[in-house]
Parts: sequence; structure tokens; C-alpha cells
Amino acid sequence: MAIAVSQTRPVAVKKNRSQFYQSWKRFRKNYFAVGGLVWVAIFFIIGIIGPWIAPYSYTDADFLAMHAPPSAHHIFGTDQVGYDQFTQILYSVRYALEIALGATCVSFIIGIVLGLWAGLAGGIADMLIMRGVDFMFALPSFFFALILSVLLGKGLFPMILAIGVPGWAGYARLIRSLVLSMRNGEMVEAARALGASQTHIAARYMFPNVVGSMVVSLAFGIPADLTAQAGLSIVGMGLNPPMPSFGNMLANASSNILGFPWLLYFPASIFAITLLAFLFVADGLQEAFNPRGGM
Amino acid sequence: MFMLRFFAKRFVAIVFTLAAVIAISYIMMYESPGGFMSTSQVASALAPIAAQNPVLYQKVMEEFQQRYGLNLPLWRQCLQYVWHELTFNFGNSMQNPTQTITSQLKTALPISVILAFSSTALSVVIGIPMGVIAALKRNTWIDYTVTTLSMVGQAIPSFVLAVIFVLIFGVLWQNILPVTGWGTFSDAVLPVISLAAAPIGVVARYMRGSLIETMRQDFIRTAKSKGVKYWPLVLKHGVRNSMTALITVVGPQFAFTVVGTVLVENIFAIPGLGKVIGNAFPNFDFPMAITSVFILGAIMMITNLIVDLFYAWIDPRVKLQ
Amino acid sequence: MAEPILSIEDLRVEFDRSEDKVYAVNGVSFQIDPGQALGIVGESGSGKSVTLMSALGLIRENGKVKSGVVQFEGKNLLKMSSRQLEDIRGREIGVIFQDPMTSLNPVMSIGDQIMETMLTHHYAGHREAFDRTIQLLHEMGIPDPKARFKNYPHEFSGGMRQRIMIAIALACEPQLLIADEPTTALDVTVQMQILALLQSQRERKNMSVAIITHDFGVATNFCDKIVVLYAGQVMEMADTSAFIQNPAHPYTLGLKNSIIEVGQRGRKLEPIPGMAPTLTEPPTSCSFADRCPFVTDRCREELPKLRSVESNHLVACHRAEEVLARAN
Repeated sequence: MAIAVSQTRPVAVKKNRSQFYQSWKRFRKNYFAVGGLVWVAIFFIIGIIGPWIAPYSYTDADFLAMHAPPSAHHIFGTDQVGYDQFTQILYSVRYALEIALGATCVSFIIGIVLGLWAGLAGGIADMLIMRGVDFMFALPSFFFALILSVLLGKGLFPMILAIGVPGWAGYARLIRSLVLSMRNGEMVEAARALGASQTHIAARYMFPNVVGSMVVSLAFGIPADLTAQAGLSIVGMGLNPPMPSFGNMLANASSNILGFPWLLYFPASIFAITLLAFLFVADGLQEAFNPRGGM
Repeated sequence: MFMLRFFAKRFVAIVFTLAAVIAISYIMMYESPGGFMSTSQVASALAPIAAQNPVLYQKVMEEFQQRYGLNLPLWRQCLQYVWHELTFNFGNSMQNPTQTITSQLKTALPISVILAFSSTALSVVIGIPMGVIAALKRNTWIDYTVTTLSMVGQAIPSFVLAVIFVLIFGVLWQNILPVTGWGTFSDAVLPVISLAAAPIGVVARYMRGSLIETMRQDFIRTAKSKGVKYWPLVLKHGVRNSMTALITVVGPQFAFTVVGTVLVENIFAIPGLGKVIGNAFPNFDFPMAITSVFILGAIMMITNLIVDLFYAWIDPRVKLQ
Repeated sequence: MAEPILSIEDLRVEFDRSEDKVYAVNGVSFQIDPGQALGIVGESGSGKSVTLMSALGLIRENGKVKSGVVQFEGKNLLKMSSRQLEDIRGREIGVIFQDPMTSLNPVMSIGDQIMETMLTHHYAGHREAFDRTIQLLHEMGIPDPKARFKNYPHEFSGGMRQRIMIAIALACEPQLLIADEPTTALDVTVQMQILALLQSQRERKNMSVAIITHDFGVATNFCDKIVVLYAGQVMEMADTSAFIQNPAHPYTLGLKNSIIEVGQRGRKLEPIPGMAPTLTEPPTSCSFADRCPFVTDRCREELPKLRSVESNHLVACHRAEEVLARAN
């Protein structure tokens, strides 16, 4: 047995690599996805270096230039309080990413724990967790986030939890189904019948499959959380001003649009393009990992 | 008979789900910083009444005390509240303590319902032909245009689209379509389009994939062998079969549309349920907030139930369980 | 001798695949006479379905008819517009397919599906079409046709569905019925019933039938004349009796030995070794050579032409005489 494993292992590793490589090759051919990836990368870089390139602090209100149109001093203009819009956007990107990534992580971690538990333990635990999943799917998670945000209050960390906690159900269901398909999958069954070891089965068959599904679901999760965060701001449960966020800027600007369109040009276009980019990437990943499935 | 039992079972499940939602909401709001009743909102709303009309103030306060039973243990309060909500006995809101929630929702609810349903209807009416044409003209520029548009529509959330519309029709081309308010048909145009964009994309993409798949089926070849002409073939055999499963997509999509309605109303300043939510939550008007979520949730779940029944009706193979 | 109802001459069909081409039909010619039952026999991939389906314009989009003539009532089907073909399909030529599970529209009642054939061709008005549907269902042996009219395909068994398929194909009383593996997907006992039903309908309506089958037994039991196809080419063509007595092609011999016939219990079945080829280039030598027990060097170099060994008995084999001698 041991000999068999050591013989097959190198093959397995090579196969895995080529499977991911195949996916990457398919992804690369999809220009929308590659374009999206470039924009997402820029978005991340801005999020990281934003505070260093911001000309002002986001709490600095220029009282002498309220509602100022774009100029050399304020390249994206200022709002009714005199906040520099360029600075606001830089910080919005940063907070948006922090919240979206944080929330996705929270959802994912809860989802993994409960999904593994349901899949591995079975029985009552499985039934209860799946009832919970049904419950979470009965209403859009945005409403749960809304209710949770009342309890948690406003701020960066509460928002991560408010958005992240209700998002667990989808991941839990995915992980559970992966666990079940691993345990009962025909391919695994066949491999086991041929005498492959557990580690070999895991490395050769499960790993690429599982990684693919998870990457795809995370790639769809991040833009959804970006959207949820902006949505919460629009109903007034987002970050408290002066902490900037896209949702606040959009809600605020559209309610006093007349005369100050620059307040909307920049955040609206950047936010829309970013969501589009994320979705192109996610769509590209889905096709790359699962070329025949889906639509 | 069978239908009836299915309906009853699902209805009970919906009631329990809603009860759980209400209970969880109540507990969370009870535990929230400041607590359920001791918010400044109530105090400030009641202050002028207290000064002007002490009798009314006394009455309102008593009403609140009795309704929420704030000196009872939490689980009793919770049960009591759930019961009140499920029997549509919503009580008064905290921002307007002298007015019942029901009277305030009376005008708001129909607006949201109109928005959500008309945009869903529009998405089906536009999405199906788009998907059908894309499928029939597969791998032509028409197909690529439809597919790309659908993807863009799906990627951009309705409220961002609403903001873009505000920019276009509020700044660039003013006075073509109104970007705020509610009352006339033209007021509804932009919100409905914002809300319909994503479902149109979903429906079109789904329809395209499904029709391509259906047209490869054996029974299409049978129909061709009968001499059925092109359009009857596509419509009666192809589209008819693809449409049955489409309903399973429209159902969940409706939930997204309802969330979208809440947000879009806030962008276009439409006095619907979404605007009520946008008022109630940040102002800690808890009874109003919970009730609005309860009503939207109920609408969604009942709609989904009706969709399932409809699905069973149009696809003879579906067995309700 | 009357004019043949359908005659196919030198038909060639190719399928484009992403990397290569498949030569599915390579110069097939045969005829069906009025009232005759023709069996077209071959393994899957031999081009037997493609031959007839391409004549009716029912092959997949990536398939192309490269050359040939298909005469039906003096008109070349291959030259017809798709609209003219639509008028022929279902009206003059009825078709039955292999899998009754997937060949019926799942969300249309079976009565409507039968009526649709007649209404499409204005064969009957609504009222008459309904009456005739009931009549057809009755003829097909479906009990309580009035009540079953509104039922959907999933409410029927496989055999019943195939009867409904036949009703659809026969609705407009076509002169020619093409049955593409009509019994393959069915249980053995049901197979016999369906064949008997086809037989009785054929006799009553004096209709020509072309049965496409991989089952040599079905062909010999049902048909007057048999064409054996292999790799998209006619290997042998003769009256059924000649086939049973004097198979002249090694492939036919193999087919005959690989089936069980009544009274042959205990005989060892001899499957033909190897697999039917998929041609990605036009054939230049005998396509059966690799599986043939009679193979010689000539077979691997020269494409055997279809030639006559007896009256009404055509065969494409360099060594047909040896085969005949051995079989006798």
C-alpha cells in the first residue's frame, strides 16, 4: 500500500497543478474577466495605499469651500460640509474592502464550521443546521443584517458582523454538500476500490473540486457584501459620518443632486464599475472551474 | 385536495418562520444599546404631548406599557409581541406615538407592492423575448449584446442604477422623467426600470441557456418530424418547455427585488415601505421597523408559495410535497 | 414494376466537429418500393439513422449533405426548401423515434400532440382531428382513449408512449413510415407487440415502411428487403430470404451469428470482434477489413464496389464468393 501511494503521489500533484493551470488558461481567455481582475487589483491597491495618497484627512472639512466643484485643490470637489471628495472616495474604498472582506470571512468561517458539522455529524445536528439554512433563506439576508445592525450599533466592526453573520447559510450548504459528495461520490468510491489511500483521494479528487467551488462562491460573496454594505448606508444603518462610505455618498448626493452633480459622478461610476469588475471576475472563475456546468 | 394540503402545510411553515423572525428581531432590539423603550426618540416624540395634553400622554404611555409588558420576563414579552404581530395588531409607532402603525402603512405598502410586482412583471415580459432571441441567434452579435447587457444588469444593484438615473435625468436631461416623488405614472418609470434591470438579466440569461438546451431535446426532433413550422416549434415546444423551470428562477429573484425596492425608494424619495424602513431603523422606531420587515417577509414568502403552486399547475410533471 | 416511393442515390453526409470531420454516410444508394418494408441494419454509428434523417432535414446543425439525390414521389428532397420539407414531414412521411421517454413533449397532452400533426398540415379541422385522434388511440390499443386524451406523456408506460408516437406518425396517413429503432428502448415482450402493431397498420394502409435497427432479428422478421450499412456504406442489400439463406458479406454473416433465433438454443453466440469505426477520412479500402475473418491484402488496399452476386442481391466485398461458398 505504502509503495502504491509513493508511486502515485507525484502524478497526483502534477495532475492537480494542471487542473488549476487549465482553469487559469480558460480564465485568461475571458477578456471581461481579465479586465475585471485588473480593476479589482487596482481597487485593492487603492484600498491599501489610500491613506498615504489622500491629500486631506477624511475628517478635515474645508469650510471655505463647501459644495466646491472639482478644482486643483479638490480634484473631485467637495460636499455640503466641505469634505474633500477625493479623500472620501479613497477612504470609502478602504472601508468598503475592509467590511466586504471581513464580512465574507465571517460568513465563510461560520459556514465552514456549521457545514462541516452538518456534513460530518449527520443526524440531529445536520437536521437542525439545515433547518437553520432554510430559515436564513426564507428572507433575504439583507433584512437580517438590518436587524442585527440595530443590536450591534454602527462602526466598522459591527458592520462586518452585521453583514457577515447572516451570510453563513449559503456557505454552510455548499460545504455540507461537498462533504457529502466526498463521502459518497462515485469517483471516490472508484478510487477507493482501486486501492487509493485517503490522502491520495483527498489530494487527487477532492482538493481541486472543493477549492474550485469555494473560490467561486467567495468571488460572488465579496461583491454581494459590498452591495449589502452600501444598502445598509442607504437606509441609514451604515457607517456614521464622517466615516466615508459609498452608500453614504450615494444616498447623500442623490438627495441633494441639483447643482452639485460631481458629488455623484465619481462615487457612482467607481462603485458601479467595481461591482461589475467583481462580477466579471466571479463569472470568469465559475466558467474556468466548471466549464460545462451553469449557464 | 392535494393542493390544499400542500398549501396548508406551507402556510403553517411560513407562519412559524415569520414568528421566529419577529421573536429574534424583538430580542435583538430589546438588547440593543439603550433598550427597547428608553430611547430618546420616544421621549422627544412624547415630550410635546406631555406638555400640551397630559391626559393623552398618560394614555399613550399606558398603552405602550401594556402592549410591550416591559416589566414581564423577556420570553413573555416576546411571545406577546409575536402574537400581536401575527394577528396584525401592530400598535402605535414611536415616532408618531398617537398614530397606529397600520394607518401609517396603509399608504406606504401599496406603493412598494406596485413597485416590486410591476418590475417583476416587466422583467418577465422583457427578459423572455430577449433570452429567446439570444438563443435563436446564438453566437451572433445579437446574442453577445443580450448576454453582455444581462450580465451588466445583474452586476449593478438596483439602487446604484437608481443613482445613475438620478444623475442622468436629474442633471443631464432634466424634466424628461421625474427623479423624486410619487403619484403619477411617470414617477414610476425610473424606479421600475432600476428594479427590473437585474431580473431582466437573470430571466434573459436563464431563458437563453434553457432554450438552447431544450432545442436539443428529442421531442423537438419529433415535432420537426411532424412538419411543425419554425415559430410554432420554437414557441409551443421550445419556449413552453423552457418556461416551466423559469418560474423557479423568478421566485427567488422576487426576494432580491423586494430588497431593491426598499433601497430604490430611498434614492427616489418614494414614500413606500422602504422609506418607512429608512426612517424607522436609524431612529430606533422599533415597532415600526419590525412590522415593516414582517410585512415584507410575509409578502415574499406568500409570493413564493403562489409561485410554487403555479409551477405545479403549468408543469404536469411537478409533484408538490 | 412500379416506381420506388423513395430512392436514395449516392448520398454523402459529413459532420463537422471541433477538430475534425466525420464521414457518416459515404455514397449510400437504395430504394423503397410502394408497400414494401425495408430494413436498414447496422451497428450504432454505421450511419443508418443519418441516411434517412438527412433526407428529411432532421440531422444536427453541424451535419451537411455533401452530394446525392433523394427522390420522393419524383421530387428531390435534398433540393427542397425547408418550408417544402415541412409540408412533406408528418404528411407524406411519418417518423417514429427510438426513445419514447424523451421523444414526446413532456408538457403537452398526448392528444394535443397527435392532433398537432393533423392541424399543422390542415389534414383535418379541429373537430375531425379530435375524433380521428380518439380513433387512432383506439387503433393503437390504448384503452379508454377519451379519458387518456388529456394525459401527459409521463403518465404512460414506455410501450404506451411508443404507441402514441406511432399514432402521431400515422395521423395524416403518410405513404412512408420511417421507424428509427422503434423497439430498442422497450422490454422484449413490448417489442413484439409494437412490431405486430406496425405490421398490422402497414398492411391495412398499404404503407411503405423503413425500419432502422441494429437488431438483425427484427429486420428479418419484419422486412421484405434488408440493407446492411457499415461505416456509412452499403455492405449488402437483398431480399430477406436471400439474407437468411445466403449472406454474402462477412459482416452480415457475423450479424447473423450474433443473434439468437428460435430453435437455436444451445448454439454458441459469436459476437463480431472489435468495434465499428468512426471515419474521419473518406474510406479508401474496405472499412470492415480490421474485423473480418476473410481479410486479404487486397481488402486493405482497394475499396470494394457494390456488385451483384445473384439477382437482386448486391454486396460490397472482394471475397463474396468465398463467403457464399462457406455459408452454404
